[in-house]
Amino acid sequence: MNVIDQRIHQVLDGELAAEAVPAELRRAVAQLAAAADLLAAPPAGAVTSLESRVMAEIRRPAPSRARRVMRWLVTPHAIILRVRPAWSVAFAAVVATFTLFTAGQEGPEPAEHEGIAQFVGRFPEAQSVHAVGTFNDWRAGSIELEDQDHDGVWRATVVLPTGTYEYMFVVDGERWVPDHLAERLVADDFGRENSIVIVRPARR
Amino acid sequence: MKRWAVLACAAFLAFPLAAQSVRGRLQGRIPSDAIPAVDSLIQFASQEGLPTEPLIQKALEGGAKHVAAPRIVAAVQVSLGQLRGARDLLVHAGDPPPVLSTEVTTVAWALRRGLPAPLVERVVAALARPPRAAALHAVADLVAHRFDADSAAGLIIEAVHDGVPQERLLDVSTAVLQQVQRGHTRAEALAIVRRDLPNLPAVSKPTRGTVAGARRPASPAQP
Repeated sequence: MNVIDQRIHQVLDGELAAEAVPAELRRAVAQLAAAADLLAAPPAGAVTSLESRVMAEIRRPAPSRARRVMRWLVTPHAIILRVRPAWSVAFAAVVATFTLFTAGQEGPEPAEHEGIAQFVGRFPEAQSVHAVGTFNDWRAGSIELEDQDHDGVWRATVVLPTGTYEYMFVVDGERWVPDHLAERLVADDFGRENSIVIVRPARR
Repeated sequence: MKRWAVLACAAFLAFPLAAQSVRGRLQGRIPSDAIPAVDSLIQFASQEGLPTEPLIQKALEGGAKHVAAPRIVAAVQVSLGQLRGARDLLVHAGDPPPVLSTEVTTVAWALRRGLPAPLVERVVAALARPPRAAALHAVADLVAHRFDADSAAGLIIEAVHDGVPQERLLDVSTAVLQQVQRGHTRAEALAIVRRDLPNLPAVSKPTRGTVAGARRPASPAQP
């Protein structure tokens, strides 16, 4: 590696007059100064080219909104997602809980003028129990009570239009029995008593 | 003139169609020899502006319970009499004729539940139409539990005037019955609830699970 004489540095930095150094060093200083000037001056052709390119870009008409959207859609974009594991686990737990507790609860949503009627009767030996009354034209088959745990207690929960209804239970398709749990009873004009259910709006 | 002619034709055609639809509902559901008499009673009700659905339901009920034809006709006749009595009571209480079918049905219900006619008339005269049905059921609930009829009616009328909404009138009678279950006499129970009006105990609404488990009645199979 060539070591440049310290005096050349001093002359180039203006700390020492050129006349104060020997002639060979003055030539070296002159060559270095010429080289520096050459490097400092930009090439004439390159300036023109850069300027023309910039101006051409400026003069080009702006692309339409649709084109910009299309370009944005087809251009790949980097998405950086920073996830904290604790939050991820909590979110997963919430989703799982919501799914578990809402599964199987897609019952009918009562409308404004509808309510819920619950029919419960104890018939230990029965094979079938139906609620029959003015809500179904006294026709068996539309409201069937169920005894899911086989304890002799038959139940049905139905959505009915709000109002007052008379009804009886039909056990095993032939035995007409009033609902003994109903608080309201009325003579049926045929020698028996009907139970009364008052269906109130579910959206109170 | 043309409009009147169209309306007259529509009425002329609608009446037989309605009668036909009533017969269609009764056909096969009640003994065939009961149908002409029941049908004529229903037509009387219709011509008098009375609700016909309670009569149809009474006939269907008799048919479903395998009651003999004469008893079905007699029961429908009794129901028609109750509807006429309810209409007369409404007019007497000050409702301008023609009285509404829903009001006639409401009053007929109250009379069937054993409320004395003067008491029903008192409630009807004291209250506007919307809360009447709920008010009469609330009074009937109390009377069925051997409360003094006048005191029960007075409490319910007062509850309405104090701003208890109609959908909560049945909660008034429930609150009174709860007081009796707590050991109060009937008079005390009425007084306690009256003192707290219009405040009432919170009502237990159907739970979300109950609503979710509910189903709509299936279409019954045709015979």
